[in-house]
Amino acid sequence: MDTGLILYTAAFGLIVIGSAGIVLSTHLVRIIFGIALLEAGANLLLLLATYREGSPAPIIVNGHIPATMADPVPQALVLTAIVIGVGILALALSLALRVQRAYGTLDLREVRQRLDQDIADEAGIDLPTSGDAPQAVMSRQEGRA
Amino acid sequence: MNNLVLLVALPLITAFLLPVINRVSAFAGRWSGPLILLITSVLGISLWSQLGDSAVAVELGGFRPPLGITLYADQMAILFAVAASLGTLLLWPNGGADPVRQSTLALILAASGSGLALSGDLFNIYVFYELVAVVSYGLIAGKATSGSYAATMRYLVVSSFGAAMALTGIALVYQATGTLNLAQLAQLAPTQLNNIQGLAAFVLMLIGFGVKAELFPVNTWVPEVYATAPTRISALLAGVVSKLALLIIVRLLVLVFHQPEALTVMLVLGIMGVVSGELAAWRARDFKRMLAFSSIGQLGIMFIAFSIPGKAGVFAGLAVALHHLVVKPALFLLAERWSGSISKLAGAAKTSPLAAGLFVLLALSLIGVPPLPGFWAKLLVLVELSQQAQALYYLGAFVILAGAALEANYLFRVASRFYLTEKGQTAPATHRMPELATASLLCAALAGSVLMLTPLAEQIEDIASQAADAAHYIQTVNPETLP
Repeated sequence: MDTGLILYTAAFGLIVIGSAGIVLSTHLVRIIFGIALLEAGANLLLLLATYREGSPAPIIVNGHIPATMADPVPQALVLTAIVIGVGILALALSLALRVQRAYGTLDLREVRQRLDQDIADEAGIDLPTSGDAPQAVMSRQEGRA
Repeated sequence: MNNLVLLVALPLITAFLLPVINRVSAFAGRWSGPLILLITSVLGISLWSQLGDSAVAVELGGFRPPLGITLYADQMAILFAVAASLGTLLLWPNGGADPVRQSTLALILAASGSGLALSGDLFNIYVFYELVAVVSYGLIAGKATSGSYAATMRYLVVSSFGAAMALTGIALVYQATGTLNLAQLAQLAPTQLNNIQGLAAFVLMLIGFGVKAELFPVNTWVPEVYATAPTRISALLAGVVSKLALLIIVRLLVLVFHQPEALTVMLVLGIMGVVSGELAAWRARDFKRMLAFSSIGQLGIMFIAFSIPGKAGVFAGLAVALHHLVVKPALFLLAERWSGSISKLAGAAKTSPLAAGLFVLLALSLIGVPPLPGFWAKLLVLVELSQQAQALYYLGAFVILAGAALEANYLFRVASRFYLTEKGQTAPATHRMPELATASLLCAALAGSVLMLTPLAEQIEDIASQAADAAHYIQTVNPETLP
């Protein structure tokens, strides 16, 4: 199996694992790690865009120009993307800390419930309750009770 | 025309100098931000008047396009760059726990917003887009309540996911073409990107840039953020930033992605945005979240409009976008004092008759009652939709009409509360002067545009025909390559 195929599989694998982590986990730190994996996958894919196996770095030494060269543009781009990613990761972790201090939990489902409650309290309305559910559901629940 | 760079550079430099300036003199620290934005707005308007029919491209640092970054300014780009500066100036975040930090972030938002409108390089757009995202996290969390932290956190997760999707799309484009300059991409697209890989790249970038444009599946952050963020920031995000993200998608559609499937994807997501947004707004019981959901619906109408192929789509979409750009910030400004349950707003017309009157005017325009501009914008979209052959476009037209009926229902429900007096209920507080003044200014612009509807429509059509002309873009950026 050639290296390119393995690397492409790795890149798409990281993207899928990262996305699955964001969508399926409820723990905030796991979601943040999912974002990190997803970004790593996207960066790897960008690097692979012009990958040629065994090609040297694009540096001209003593006037000798190599026959094939690695494309320097994606490397510069990925460097920028990595820096942005690290910044966002730090921001996300510090925000997670704030959320933990505010609500005492890192479970995103719980955070969302508390957030809805907060918004409703501030607005002075009740949360949507089972009273808003369709009649059929209500009667079924009453029957069960 | 090298002044073009100043639209981005000037606010950016000031932003980083602001903490220093503030240490020297608090007065200068307070006023230098608005002053710089005033200068860039005036500069942008003067550039607009010089521009005329031919667009301008500036090579940054003197490097030629494939390697260097190009700034491309046609009328549409300058219009939205000015909207970013002027919008931030009008909605300048006053007060808060740390005014200097908020001012710095607002200046960066204006700079990166202008950059987003002007940039002609896909990766450069990605960087500015991330900058807008990070700055908006800071502005939302600046309220420092537990709700705003949680909302920012959830926004950050969705937004980072979107940014990674956009980056993946950019990687696919670079893999197929070997360039990220939009003009070169426009030349290479018919041969290199007219395939399934190109379509995948477009859908990934649509999801990525759609996060800020409140596109249907990635807009879960909208109600939470707009309900918890400072009101002026909500107005800025809903009014200006969402249009800038939309502008990128339109540029990509016009220049790079010509597949009919790309338009269909956008049309379907737009229809779902209108349906979900308007229904949720109809059910919302607090004022701010109602406005947030209605903004999702309006953005859905824009997506439907821009999915009409050719110049007609750009014209119709631009009309709706400009209308929403004026109306939604004004509505959010009025929400400053009226946040909370709609049922508590009874009798508001007695304590603040001007604000109630402004709300009715804005609501009428948002629903689309003639002769207000909202009517002509929606009519234009419907007329263009009715001329398409595909049945899906008729569904779009039906959904827009049904959405207008729902809008009328929930907005009039609020308006009728204002003029209703119930016994034993205290009327809501009156508005502060700055909010009311800005809202009045925006309403005056709205009412004034009724009087000069024909020249305005001609102007927008002119902008649209320039923006929809891919050959002109290629010609401007690369003068020696004939299309």
